[in-house]
Amino acid sequence: MEHVKLLIVGAGAAGLSAAVSAWDAGCRDIRIADRASAPGGVLPQCIHRGFGLSTFGEELSGPSYAERLLAALSSTGVHLSLDTEVLSVSHDKTALLSRRGCVSRVRFERLILASGCREKTIGSLPVFGTRPAGIFTAGQAQETINLRHQDLGREVLILGSGDLGMIMARRFSLEGKHVIAVLEQAAHYGGMARNYHRCMEMYQIPLRCRMTVRKIHGQGRISGVTAVHLDSGEQEYIACDTLVTALGLIPERALVQGLEASPWLSLAGNCCRVYDIVDSAASQAQRIGHEAGTSLL
Amino acid sequence: MERFDAAVIGGGLLGCFAARELSRWKLDIILLEAREDVCTGISRANTAVVYSGYDHKPGTLKAEMTVRANASFDRLCRDLDVPFSRCGSLMLSFGPRADAVLSKKLQNGEANGVPGLRLLDAESAYAMEPGLAPGLRHALFSPTAGTVNPWQLGIAACENAVHNGVQLRLNTKVEALHREADGYLLETDRGAIRTRAVINCAGLAAHRVQELLFSPSVRIVPSAGDYLVLDKNSAGKPAHILEYEPEEKAKGMTVVPTVEGSLLLGPSERDNTLDYATAENGLLWVREQAARLLPGLDLDGTIRSFAAVRPNPEQMDGRSIHSFVIEHPGQGFWSLIGIKTPGLTCARELGQYVAASLARELHAEENTDFDPIRRGIQKAHTLSFDERQRLAAAEPEYGEIVCCCEDVTRGEILEAIRRGACTVDGVKRRVGTGMGRCQGARCQQKITAILSRELAIPENTVTKDGKGTEILYHGAR
Ligand SMILES: Cc1cc2nc3c(=O)[nH]c(=O)nc-3n(C[C@H](O)[C@H](O)[C@H](O)COP(=O)(O)OP(=O)(O)OC[C@H]3O[C@@H](n4cnc5c(N)ncnc54)[C@H](O)[C@@H]3O)c2cc1C
Ligand SMILES: Cc1cc2nc3c(=O)[nH]c(=O)nc-3n(C[C@H](O)[C@H](O)[C@H](O)COP(=O)(O)OP(=O)(O)OC[C@H]3O[C@@H](n4cnc5c(N)ncnc54)[C@H](O)[C@@H]3O)c2cc1C
Repeated sequence: MEHVKLLIVGAGAAGLSAAVSAWDAGCRDIRIADRASAPGGVLPQCIHRGFGLSTFGEELSGPSYAERLLAALSSTGVHLSLDTEVLSVSHDKTALLSRRGCVSRVRFERLILASGCREKTIGSLPVFGTRPAGIFTAGQAQETINLRHQDLGREVLILGSGDLGMIMARRFSLEGKHVIAVLEQAAHYGGMARNYHRCMEMYQIPLRCRMTVRKIHGQGRISGVTAVHLDSGEQEYIACDTLVTALGLIPERALVQGLEASPWLSLAGNCCRVYDIVDSAASQAQRIGHEAGTSLL
Repeated sequence: MERFDAAVIGGGLLGCFAARELSRWKLDIILLEAREDVCTGISRANTAVVYSGYDHKPGTLKAEMTVRANASFDRLCRDLDVPFSRCGSLMLSFGPRADAVLSKKLQNGEANGVPGLRLLDAESAYAMEPGLAPGLRHALFSPTAGTVNPWQLGIAACENAVHNGVQLRLNTKVEALHREADGYLLETDRGAIRTRAVINCAGLAAHRVQELLFSPSVRIVPSAGDYLVLDKNSAGKPAHILEYEPEEKAKGMTVVPTVEGSLLLGPSERDNTLDYATAENGLLWVREQAARLLPGLDLDGTIRSFAAVRPNPEQMDGRSIHSFVIEHPGQGFWSLIGIKTPGLTCARELGQYVAASLARELHAEENTDFDPIRRGIQKAHTLSFDERQRLAAAEPEYGEIVCCCEDVTRGEILEAIRRGACTVDGVKRRVGTGMGRCQGARCQQKITAILSRELAIPENTVTKDGKGTEILYHGAR
């Protein structure tokens, strides 16, 4: 069986930062595994600027921010395994890894989980009606447009005004699509003020607060939604051919379910808690990495 | 013109099993399905319970078939390589009315020969299901009840039918029927077919198909029901199938720990609709019932809701029919009409019944080469470490994870496509992709790309679930 002192699950901002800090602390046997083909986690698909102001003093795009982290990593001897899924982790401090042509077991001394978040989906909301094509989560839409360069639809309604919802509203506008509105159940947009200004106001995308989607219409492809005004209870039909849900992120910890209290486990970045700013996720991960690296000396 | 001995109309559970059972005889058989894939109708949305047989009046065909089907279900699922979980069921009573129902069911069950049936006191029931709400009076425990994935069972039967010589023709809708001297002429939207005999398993349209040639004899009054699905990691999941018998005279709810590990809750009961859309009141009802029955169940683990349509059969004068409707309106013509619960449990038995009746009519010879065995798609996540390691080494795609929630590999997806999956949902039905907590948000685009490549079609024509459901934008239509 392979053996590694520190195994890190996830090569996003958190995993990469934790690895570099653990290396700097003196740990010389570190491996990061990530299912994706490129490192960086969500960063490569975030082609907008807005990353790294507090760390680098300038606003970088997601891919550039990832490049900086990778530059730091390249001066270490950390082993990076891409296209590698961590299938399971067990209490005997082994992990099961799978990649093309190879399933293997790895024994570790410490594990840093840096697996990020998954998105809440429409299935978890009390929304009824049909289940047509044309409904995407914001992250899925972002990946499809920015990395796969594909076309998702023309008349786009966005549910949820967190940063991701607002950034995707702008993204669709830039692609020449009509963003009908961003609906938000709260009385105020959910994301950062700067994103409201840059993504919504500058593109004149309507934000409609105290509203949510109650019912989906459409047999093959979505044709519209029944939206409801939460204060008056009034309903309104909104036609659209694409619905993008930006309902929030859930820390992804399924891998360590039942093992949360293990002394050899730490959580870094968005799987620990949802960080709006990558710098905060990275600096928390650095602390975790430093601590893990030191403990392994 | 093509000629067959028998045409089976409809590739749902019943049509797939009718075709498979018919291939036990030396007959040229064609299975006609209007859609792009099998098992997209009623067979796709139901409660997934393999009943033990205490629900039906002693002496009825339903009772007899259900008990027989249940007893042979392990064997059937072994032959067809489909997972079956004999988890047992508890029918729950919280009051005097339900107590009476339970005793009646116990009596029925004993008369029907249901093995192991026991009326439990509250204490024993709580010991089996500690999460049940307080106030329980009794539970009827049926150890032989179980659950199976309905579309996986239907697809397996279809594959086995094809293995035994049945021709499967998809995207082919029967539009007209004519009587001929020695059989029937079927007009489809892809040409005409001559056949000596017909088995009509057209599900919600079965009465309409029969009426293409014969006068109406049964009505179908559709009703709908709503379901919720909870993620496999949800807290408070029960280990048994629970059937809640409410105090007010109304439909109770069923809770099913599925073979995939998720939890299925439902269905509600709504009137007169053919629409697979869920309704607010229906979903709320399911949530309320769930909260009442299992207070500790974390409903935040909900990952999906869906609706089902029941084909309720009625006499032409409006009286409802409680037995299976098996019609034989003409020589060599058999119809299964309005088969609802327990049609999944009895799919093989019903298929066998009509197949044997028809074979007798046609004086068919037994097919001694019939092979009941079908091999399922290897599921990497069900293998031991060593097996999994060997598989990935021999076939590298079985190491590549595509659906990370449900742990499904590219190898499985390629095999599903090779076996006929041509939509994202077709892949899902065969290997379970997109069924987990992210509901396909992370794998749908990857699967779209794989389908596009394997089927050699442009990516923007890949569909979720048949024509009109293109995943990517597909231009004006
Ligand atoms: C759309 C969007 C826009 C944002 N915009 C900004 C912004 O403008 N400015 C800003 O400062 N911050 C922004 N953020 C926040 C910031 O990007 C995140 O907080 C940060 O990138 C999270 O990093 P992470 O490493 O924790 O998670 P992730 O980047 O999600 O990385 C997790 C990695 O783990 C891998 N993984 C998970 N499980 C497994 C497993 N079992 N096996 C193998 N690999 C696994 C995944 O493939 C992934 O690569 C944005 C976030 C999003 C989603
Ligand atoms: C809500 C609900 C819950 C249920 N729960 C259970 C349960 O828990 N346990 C149990 O044992 N049973 C259960 N059942 C019953 C079981 O699901 C059904 O009996 C079974 O699925 C019926 O299958 P089918 O083949 O008749 O219908 P379908 O699966 O609908 O198949 C009919 C097929 O015919 C095709 N077709 C229609 N017209 C034509 C045409 N003109 N030409 C060609 N093809 C055509 C359709 O496209 C379709 O694919 C339930 C049923 C319902 C409705």
